Amino acid sequence: MSAPRPWNLVAELTYRCPLRCVYCSNPLDFARVSDALDAPAWCDVFEQAAGLGVVHVGLTGGEPSARRDLEEIVAGAARAELHAHLVTAGTPLSERRLEALAAAGLRSVQLSFQDVDRDASDRIAGRSFFEQKLDCARAVRRLGLPLTLNVVLHRHNLSRVREIIALARALDADRIELANVQLHGFALRNAEALLPSRAELDAASETVRDETLRSARPEILFVLPDWYRDRPKPCMGGLGARTLVIDPSGRVLPCHAAASLPGLEFWNVAHRSLREAWEDSPGMNAFRGEEWMQPPCRSCPERFRDQGGCRCQAFALTGDAAATDPACSLSPHHEVVLRAREGAERAHAVALRYRDATPG
Amino acid sequence: MSPEELESALRTLLAERYHDHHPFNLRMHEGRLSPEEIRTWVRNRYYYQTRIPIKDGIILAKAESPEFRREWLHRIRDHDGDGPGDGGLELWLSLAEAVGLDRSEVERLTLVLPGVRAACDDYVKLVESSDLLTSVAASLTEMSAGEIMRERLAAFERHYPWVGEEGLRYFRSRTVQAPRDAAHGLHFVLAHARSDEDQRRCIAALERKCEILWRLLDAIEAAHARPRLAPGARLRVDPAGTGDLVVMAERAIRLSPSGREIVELCDGTRSVEAIASLLRERHPDAEGIEDDVHEFVAGLRRVRALEAA
Ligand code: SF4
Ligand code: SF4
Repeated sequence: MSAPRPWNLVAELTYRCPLRCVYCSNPLDFARVSDALDAPAWCDVFEQAAGLGVVHVGLTGGEPSARRDLEEIVAGAARAELHAHLVTAGTPLSERRLEALAAAGLRSVQLSFQDVDRDASDRIAGRSFFEQKLDCARAVRRLGLPLTLNVVLHRHNLSRVREIIALARALDADRIELANVQLHGFALRNAEALLPSRAELDAASETVRDETLRSARPEILFVLPDWYRDRPKPCMGGLGARTLVIDPSGRVLPCHAAASLPGLEFWNVAHRSLREAWEDSPGMNAFRGEEWMQPPCRSCPERFRDQGGCRCQAFALTGDAAATDPACSLSPHHEVVLRAREGAERAHAVALRYRDATPG
Repeated sequence: MSPEELESALRTLLAERYHDHHPFNLRMHEGRLSPEEIRTWVRNRYYYQTRIPIKDGIILAKAESPEFRREWLHRIRDHDGDGPGDGGLELWLSLAEAVGLDRSEVERLTLVLPGVRAACDDYVKLVESSDLLTSVAASLTEMSAGEIMRERLAAFERHYPWVGEEGLRYFRSRTVQAPRDAAHGLHFVLAHARSDEDQRRCIAALERKCEILWRLLDAIEAAHARPRLAPGARLRVDPAGTGDLVVMAERAIRLSPSGREIVELCDGTRSVEAIASLLRERHPDAEGIEDDVHEFVAGLRRVRALEAA
């Protein structure tokens, strides 16, 4: 099939990160993936991406500021006329460094927070960086760059949604993304410890509604998690449709988690042009269109809205990447999700497992 | 709830949600509106005035009791008068003339903002789809109308002396009519909303009405905002097409040629009204161009590609 135009490039510059969040969305074997592309190689990729129609690059990781050549990479994105958006945990990122990045052409910043105070943040991140994050947020706003806060929601911080929004407001963030934890990657290993109960979620959505009415700033993004809605989260307009991801090794992927899908062949920008890797690689084409769909998705009128849900979640929960996402109540495997939901209703103390370098 | 409790619930709702708190209304009463803003308000609010007797006619048609209809009929009389040159609508048109608008242009309703039109039409639709009890409940914003009219009258006399006394007769007449109408409406609602469910529906209807009045002022305020590209949003040529894009942190928006023309005028110095009339001069024959400009800018503000300077 003919490949659509990509709009957005997610550049995973490195999987290194000083934090060890319990719900990290990097692949479980992240430690085996080295930083193969130097700054000139990334700049070349950006020029190629612009040639395909890409207008936006998310510089992410891991922690992109762990790369000492980040300034050079940002400058390359600016030269290719891409909107350069930095997705960071805020460390190691001094105000001086941010100034240099802004001068190189950085256009906006997304900063992750784990919670509203140090102890709670440390419990999730496995390291202590809360104050650095506050400094980083203030520095971003002093430089006049648009700031988005990103907070993953789970049972340990959901009751503090009001304070989380208040923090975003106090830091003069333009936008806050409240992302409910998903059931794959490191989060799946911690599912029992992270999933909130229905009552906790309902209370949080009520709070979000109030806060949205209260003030236009920050813009608040909150979507009920798919495992409570009986329908899966739409998958970015489809895999290989609008977004391309390049991992630190140079592999061109349709999604940050797609490397975890078995049996798919992705091509590397070290050996192929970006156009070839986007248009022709078997892995990129595996989930384009709807040929790959199984029943019940195949004939479902909702497939244009959700594309059958998340391939990575489908694989993680059923072992089959082409299966209907079990978050969907029409999936024959939906009971996996129902069981997780029931588990979340029982109060329990389960230890959190931090992101670490030993997969399993 | 007892009738007293219901009444106090309705009053609390009004104290919190009535449009006297709206930033535009606050600025009006503080004397901080420009003559252009006053004119936009008068011209647009006229559309609301024209919907009132229509909505009252709909309510009338729902009532079985001659006594209720007799009482409600007053309202239509108040607005339409007993002959040409009489009644509330007529008084509003003298206000329009007093602030320097062309009477017949106002009457033709051609420059009503799309957001104002939608809000007022929603009010009529709300009444159409409600039963008698809840449509009367929706009209209870009148309980706060006497007060707001008194404040408005004082504010105009003090801050907008350029609007002659002749223009203020509508406000004056409403300070008397609104409390009388409100007393009748409230009495009816308290007497008939007995079940919890009915009381809940009455409160919800009044809440919707407050939202409608609020949206009306939102639309007027937005028309005078001076939009510009939000920080981080940039206008650029589409590298893979012939058109233009606004690219920002979270999204890229494709622009049509007329979209580009509008965005280029959004430099933070011109109001949306000014941009609309500029484009009207450039394209004298383009149908509905003012509406298009207002709707387009509102859309880009919703996704935060544009912000008010
Ligand atoms: S069956 Fe498939 S396409 Fe239909 S709603 Fe469920 S996941 Fe979506
Ligand atoms: S496959 Fe899943 S993780 Fe990947 S983009 Fe789609 S929804 Fe997101």
